[in-house]
Amino acid sequence: MSVAQQQSYQLSDYLEKLPGTTFRKLYQQPSTAFAIFRRMLPPLAKVFVQALLYAPAPLLLSELDVWVRPEGKMHRDRALSILRSLHIIQITPPGKDKPQEMQLTTNFRNSMRLALEGGGSHNSFGVPSTLPVDPRIDIAYLDHYARKKWEDILHYIVNSVPVDGETGGGGSSFSGGPKASVKDLLLIGRLVERRPDTRGGVGITQAGFTFLLQEANAQVWTLLLLWLEAADRAKSAAEQAKGPASNAAKSDSIDMLSFLFMLASLELGRAYDTDALTETRRNMLPALVDFGLIYIPREDTRQYFPTRLATTLTSSASALRSVSSGFSAATANNLGDAASLGTTPDSSGASKGSIIIETNYRLYAYTSSPLQIAVLALFTHLNMRFPGMVTGRLTRDSIRRAIGFGITADQIISYLASHAHEQMVRAAAATGRPVLPPTVVDQIRLWQIENERMTTSAGFLFKDFDSLEEYVSLSSYAEEIGVLMWKSDRKRMFYANKIEQLRDYLKSRKKAE
Amino acid sequence: MVKAVRGVLIECEPAIKSILVHIDSTHHHEFIIEDLDETHLFVKEAMLHILKQKLEERLKETYRPEEPLEDSD
Amino acid sequence: MPPKRKAPGGQANAAKAGRVSAMSTPGPATPRSLDSSVMSEADEDFDEDVSEAQREREAMLSKEADEFVNKFTIGSRRMQGQTDDKEVRRFDSATPFFRKRDFSHLPLKPDHQNRPLWIDPYECTVVLERFHPLAEQATDFLITIAEPKSRPTFLHEYALTPHSLYAAVSVGLRPKDIINTLERFLKTALPDMVRTKIEEYTRSFGKVKLVLKHNKYYVETMDAQVLQTLLKDEEIGKLRVHGSDKVTTSHAPTLGGLVIPGTQNAAGVHQANLKQAGMKPGEAADASNEADLFTALNEEDDDDDKEAVHAFEISDADVEAVQKRCLDIGYPILEEYDFRNDDVNPNLEIDLRPNTQIRPYQEKSLSKMFGNGRAKSGIIVLPCGAGKTLVGITAACTIKKGVIVLCTSSMSVVQWRQEFLKWSNINPDDIAIFTAESKNKFSGSTGIIVTTYSMVTNSRERSHDSKKMMDFLRGREWGLMLLDEVHVVPADMFRRVISSIKSHSKLGLTATLLREDDKINHLNFLIGPKLYEANWMELSQQGHIAKVQCAEVWCPMPTEFYDEYLRANSRMKRTLYAMNPRKFQACQYLINYHEARGDKIIVFSDELYSLKQYALKLKKVFIYGGTSQAERMQVLENFQHNPEVNTLFLSKIGDTSLDLPEATCLIQISSHFGSRRQEAQRLGRILRAKRRNDEGFNAFFYSLVSKDTQEMYYSSKRQAFLVDQGYAFKVITQLANLEKTPDLAFGTPQECRELLQRTLVDNERGAEDDVETDDLFGKVSRRAGGNGGGGRKGNGVRRTAGMLSELAGGQDMAYIEQNKAANKALKAAAGRKKGGAGPGEQSKFFKGIQREKEKSRARAG
Repeated sequence: MSVAQQQSYQLSDYLEKLPGTTFRKLYQQPSTAFAIFRRMLPPLAKVFVQALLYAPAPLLLSELDVWVRPEGKMHRDRALSILRSLHIIQITPPGKDKPQEMQLTTNFRNSMRLALEGGGSHNSFGVPSTLPVDPRIDIAYLDHYARKKWEDILHYIVNSVPVDGETGGGGSSFSGGPKASVKDLLLIGRLVERRPDTRGGVGITQAGFTFLLQEANAQVWTLLLLWLEAADRAKSAAEQAKGPASNAAKSDSIDMLSFLFMLASLELGRAYDTDALTETRRNMLPALVDFGLIYIPREDTRQYFPTRLATTLTSSASALRSVSSGFSAATANNLGDAASLGTTPDSSGASKGSIIIETNYRLYAYTSSPLQIAVLALFTHLNMRFPGMVTGRLTRDSIRRAIGFGITADQIISYLASHAHEQMVRAAAATGRPVLPPTVVDQIRLWQIENERMTTSAGFLFKDFDSLEEYVSLSSYAEEIGVLMWKSDRKRMFYANKIEQLRDYLKSRKKAE
Repeated sequence: MVKAVRGVLIECEPAIKSILVHIDSTHHHEFIIEDLDETHLFVKEAMLHILKQKLEERLKETYRPEEPLEDSD
Repeated sequence: MPPKRKAPGGQANAAKAGRVSAMSTPGPATPRSLDSSVMSEADEDFDEDVSEAQREREAMLSKEADEFVNKFTIGSRRMQGQTDDKEVRRFDSATPFFRKRDFSHLPLKPDHQNRPLWIDPYECTVVLERFHPLAEQATDFLITIAEPKSRPTFLHEYALTPHSLYAAVSVGLRPKDIINTLERFLKTALPDMVRTKIEEYTRSFGKVKLVLKHNKYYVETMDAQVLQTLLKDEEIGKLRVHGSDKVTTSHAPTLGGLVIPGTQNAAGVHQANLKQAGMKPGEAADASNEADLFTALNEEDDDDDKEAVHAFEISDADVEAVQKRCLDIGYPILEEYDFRNDDVNPNLEIDLRPNTQIRPYQEKSLSKMFGNGRAKSGIIVLPCGAGKTLVGITAACTIKKGVIVLCTSSMSVVQWRQEFLKWSNINPDDIAIFTAESKNKFSGSTGIIVTTYSMVTNSRERSHDSKKMMDFLRGREWGLMLLDEVHVVPADMFRRVISSIKSHSKLGLTATLLREDDKINHLNFLIGPKLYEANWMELSQQGHIAKVQCAEVWCPMPTEFYDEYLRANSRMKRTLYAMNPRKFQACQYLINYHEARGDKIIVFSDELYSLKQYALKLKKVFIYGGTSQAERMQVLENFQHNPEVNTLFLSKIGDTSLDLPEATCLIQISSHFGSRRQEAQRLGRILRAKRRNDEGFNAFFYSLVSKDTQEMYYSSKRQAFLVDQGYAFKVITQLANLEKTPDLAFGTPQECRELLQRTLVDNERGAEDDVETDDLFGKVSRRAGGNGGGGRKGNGVRRTAGMLSELAGGQDMAYIEQNKAANKALKAAAGRKKGGAGPGEQSKFFKGIQREKEKSRARAG
């Protein structure tokens, strides 16, 4: 399936579609079990897992009531539902004679124990390289490298926005951009689509905009899952051509996913051994290099370095915020950047929101990032740029243009809300009012509605029927086959968007007469 | 004898329909083939583009034009 | 662009044409031409019967004002400069979004976080972080040197313009102070371009002053070079008074112990201490420097370049010639009044009452006027209800010389006098009124005269008393001329006032220094620079004016109405979008809702036909131009005190100078095109709400607009000023449970159709006389020229006259005068329509309303 059908394509969506057998295989890897535990579970579910992990016997479901206060029932049910959908726990079916019990699934329990205790020879957490490491490859170097790779991809998507006249957006002439394979992936995933009217020949889609508005970590997962799916499809197509038994393909994709979870458990700044990887995993390396998740020195391909993009893949949401701020600070634009001046990556305020939107539609964003500015330009009439700050205004034209790209009013609103400057958040908290000025939010929606005041469709108007019977018969047939868009019994007219079947129907009617 | 006329169905708010009808009446009726009901019109396909343009012009009169930012010379 | 003076004969047509084109193509450029034609219509309307000499003086003033404006506009419209080639521009993928306005190359100072400003070197737009610890000081500074453009919550924008710099220099800031302070507040280094511009534009400003000392005029300058230029100038050199060949040199004036009454200083509290008290310890030193900047500048003259003042005398008769010549050679003259050294004009016994304390922003504005111990002429801008009158009175109490106050109506004349008596200790005999009804002089050697603009500019058919009074006014020197509501008065009228009455200093007061024409700049020449402009939101947060919730209610038009609207001419379009039955229902709904909450409601309609239809159908009281003075007073009395009368319909005559602190809700059903000023003025009607300091109190301002009509366009244009002041208009597309309103008017399609038919027929006939005359309390006087009076000939002419005067939103003033006969007919007609006239009948009307209410209450119960 393509992302276009969904607001955003998330890991949980992907995992929930996998069959139980796949999970059993996935959980053979301690790193995977641990990563899922870290990333995918709400706090209460984690508590349950910890309680069950070393429990000698299955736990009575009713015992949970002791742990969870009655008002927390909703949380409890949600936690259980997630645990079941990820095949982490088993619960016996309800029966009259026996109370319900729950326990961890075998593979998950074993792998989880291994992950926590260490031991085993699974190499699940990567094999550090024993070769000498080039001292120039430090964390700063890796951050810079990863940022460059990732921003190339984002720029490619942003710059696929059609340009107005000779100025504005349109930076496809800027530095190379991502690899052709990555571009293909973006096309396959429908984050961009081919469009002849743009300079680069591709245009952003609604899914592409959704993608741009996501947190960096969610973006990485979206792209990786697109990639996994594409790999799956390619494999199964190849297998089908050869014949049945696509087991090999399936185990490959499981291995691929496991590898991603493993990457997440590695240590930033450390070199790992490529020779210790399975063939499937080795084959993944070039693509991961293209995405900026790992770095492989040109001189020595026996080493690979996970970047921050990889090591934060399964960080929990709260940890993520600080990590992504570390990332954005480390990868901030350049020396003149206000946000990075005199601040260390860890204490930087870069993760704080940067956008102020005023009641008179003026917008101010504390940023120097060309990427963020390009995203703002999608729906803002930009005006001035100072070091560390840009000014602009939301206008009817700028919003309608964005809506023309398939961006929705709600997406713009949620982007503004999630990037709101701390001054706005503070003022809202002090007055008990919403963060964004309600009049601006309303107006953005009204501008969208304005665009929906008229719809058109090409087709045929049927009129001048000889008899009421003829009208009724043909119009009901049109309705039946789903081509009837409008009708008036009084005027004896109807409109259909397709004519072929109706023509045939009329002919056959004539013949029958 | 039943006829099937090729054209474009427009579904819109009553106010928009009123404007479209008014445009048509001041342009020698060269847009509308059939006035269907309060919210529907059937118009000539070839003229749709021009009709949309004219509508947009009319609607512009009801919205504040973009206030020029200081940079627009 | 300099305003073109039209030949008098062609004006009516030109105005009409301008209006028509503006209606048919409301593009961004047309509203200006629309409104300037309106203004020229106003020019035509006022009295032509003046002496030749007076006319010449006015013509000259007009030309000078144009030159003055030109000087500031042509070629330097926004102080645009050339790109500095030396600048190293940065370029990245985001640069093209900003065209020329990517200033990310400007070097940030290492401690930029401790500074609140950015500046755009091309347009000199200044962006201020309002949440910055130094925001207060920076705001004080910016309001002195720049024009406020946008003042919402978090970031404010100001523009440095030649005018704003002129104002800054005239209140005593020197170019180097402006540059140094700006440099101190900026996050980036001050761009050279900005520095150059400031220097260039302030070079000639404020160098030359005209001072009236010991009743002799002196041309003063601190710059020896400028002095030489002036003395060597072929025209000015000649005008120097002979026999006083010496150039006097003295020290620059200082605040020197001048105390503005009612201020903290007057109360004996040392200002500096007070200002420092609020600072954080670390900032105190630096911050107090900033805060004291403005007073300090004038007080402590640099010791190193000890500033001497050079002056030479000129004769009274040559003042205008010198003024004009100085402008020509690039040294516009500032007027200052050294009232403390004026021994010729007698002092006036006046002071603020001991318990009167003026508010901080009032003090701030006055400190701009009296910064160096002299009185500078200029304009102070404060929102309605923020106490402009007290500012004027305090200025009078500071100068303590003869004062002439000019108001827009005879009712405000009365109010002004009352306020003087309330706030100051002036002897009631020393303050006199000059209106049609009352022509008193003060008893002593000096005093205060309160009058209207029209009284002193209207010279035709003056009674003997008036003539004598005018001679009295013209024959003396006034210490201070207070000009109320300067924004509504046409420039030509000012010209006549200023050239006929001699005053040492002029103070203009207004809520909105906004005109849709281009004559605001003329005010700078005629009165003086804008000295201060208050921040509406700030005053409302501090409780000085009421908090207001603003909403725009969208009222769709029923299809039949809308079809008719599309076909109608522009005059009928206005009537139709006002008479939209959905709008009527919305109005009814809102009135019900707010009356139930205990609000007092004013409904405004510019459209007289709909004003009457609404008021009659809803059984509410109303006042318009045709309402007699007695009836007006009675209606207002009832609105204020009668708990049964909670809604008042007003035509635009109630836009200004109406003081109804009871009103807490305002509904606008029709208005004057895109007039930002009218919107602000109307909002002003509820800003002084009595209940404003009640816990959680909000006043309400609704603008009802018919959807998909030009009203939408005008409405958002009207709001622009308020929106940039930080007001937010909520769009309401549907009123909750509107259909549940009891006795909802026009509830059936049949009733709507009837309303449409009736509206069309009534307005086709032109039966309604919609000539709006004076403001709410002014006398209804005769109409000048053959426009209105002779209009009985045919509807066409009459309708034209009506339309034009109604269009003339800029002058809700008595100088659109009306023929006495027409006035009588109008009154009678108004009486007939209401089924009775005169006070006696009117009370019957009120009884009727009361009966109606009791009935409906009984039904409900």
